[in-house]
Amino acid sequence: MNATLTDRYVDAAMRSVPEKQRDDLSAELRASIDDQIDARVDAGERHEAAERAVLTELGDPDKLAAGYLERPLWLVGPRYYLDWWRLLKLLWAIVPACAAFGVALGQTLAGAPLGAIIGSTIGVVVSVIVHVAFWVTIVFVILERTGHETMDQSAWTPDRLPEPKASGAKLSDLVATLVFLAIGAGFVLWDHFIGWPVGDGRMTSFLDPGLWPWWITGLFVLMAAEAALAVTVYARGRWTTGLAYLNLVLDVAIALPALWLISQGLFLNPELLPTVDPDDGAQVTGILNVILGFVFAGIAVWDSIDAFLKAHRAR
Amino acid sequence: MTETEALETHLQELRRGTVVLACLRLLTEPGYGYGLLEELESRGFDTDANTLYPLLRRLEKQGHLVSEWNTDEARPRKFYRTSVAGDRLAAALTADFRAISAAIAALPEKD
Repeated sequence: MNATLTDRYVDAAMRSVPEKQRDDLSAELRASIDDQIDARVDAGERHEAAERAVLTELGDPDKLAAGYLERPLWLVGPRYYLDWWRLLKLLWAIVPACAAFGVALGQTLAGAPLGAIIGSTIGVVVSVIVHVAFWVTIVFVILERTGHETMDQSAWTPDRLPEPKASGAKLSDLVATLVFLAIGAGFVLWDHFIGWPVGDGRMTSFLDPGLWPWWITGLFVLMAAEAALAVTVYARGRWTTGLAYLNLVLDVAIALPALWLISQGLFLNPELLPTVDPDDGAQVTGILNVILGFVFAGIAVWDSIDAFLKAHRAR
Repeated sequence: MTETEALETHLQELRRGTVVLACLRLLTEPGYGYGLLEELESRGFDTDANTLYPLLRRLEKQGHLVSEWNTDEARPRKFYRTSVAGDRLAAALTADFRAISAAIAALPEKD
């Protein structure tokens, strides 16, 4: 005998029902469907048409089964959505940038060509973004189906409101910038005129003495401009988009020549490390150059973006 | 969303809990799925089969209904009856519904 539409409907609805509830549920569902069909037939419909109408009204059997079993018909529902979204944003803000920095640094130290460095960094960043989203979501899909109340049991209170974001234009920001610049200038001067002890009572400098006088003069001019910019931001009371662009120009003006000097081996004192360690000094100098380059580039990129973010928030 | 769609949504939300109350009150006399559906319909509670059947299961799981298979007739049917806990829930819901009804009646009305 051919399976009727009702047989097929009940089978489809019972597919996802646990074994021990299945007999009870399927018998009840079948009786209910038959009752409804009979009522329509009594009212004068043909059996086939009545069956079709009843099943159409009941709708998708999987949806009906989800109703019986109180299964959610969503991946991450309102109970977990905010926890899920906050965690995802936090991880997206941290993990891809760290992975990109690590991969690019590792590839550069390993001596990979520029194209390969850029290519593998982009590849890793894309796959990290996708992986983070996938695994975080999977965890929440499982949480949604194993039923804890929420990630954080305690109720929300106003104490949890986020602190106002730093404007970057307070007196403390100005002082910090000026102190930082003064320390930087002090380091450069100390490095040149006094130097660092390397044993045997000798003193040597960290930076290439060939940078004096013109490169260093240029650096001091740009640092003075940075100080002036910091004073301007404090006087205005906030970052503006124009000031953020000026900051970008200054960052590029410092970072690009520095990176060029590093890449040409003109930045570090070539005498320094061979003096400290005659055997591996040259190799260590190479590695130190790469790390310094990444740190400079990282600081410049971060500082530029940070200024734009502050300018955007202050609008 | 058109005006009728919005009306439909709001009516649905307003009626959502009333079907539970109606079931608990009607099932002081034992009843089965389709019979209850008919009864609800005739008393003015507009309900779909695919919401009523899962609802009965849910109330049973919560202990507000108890069930029993009746195999006396040609077609075996699962009969539900309101439990003691279900009676208490029905009383609480009814009291609340009356309070809401009174509160709504006391609202200012445009004539």
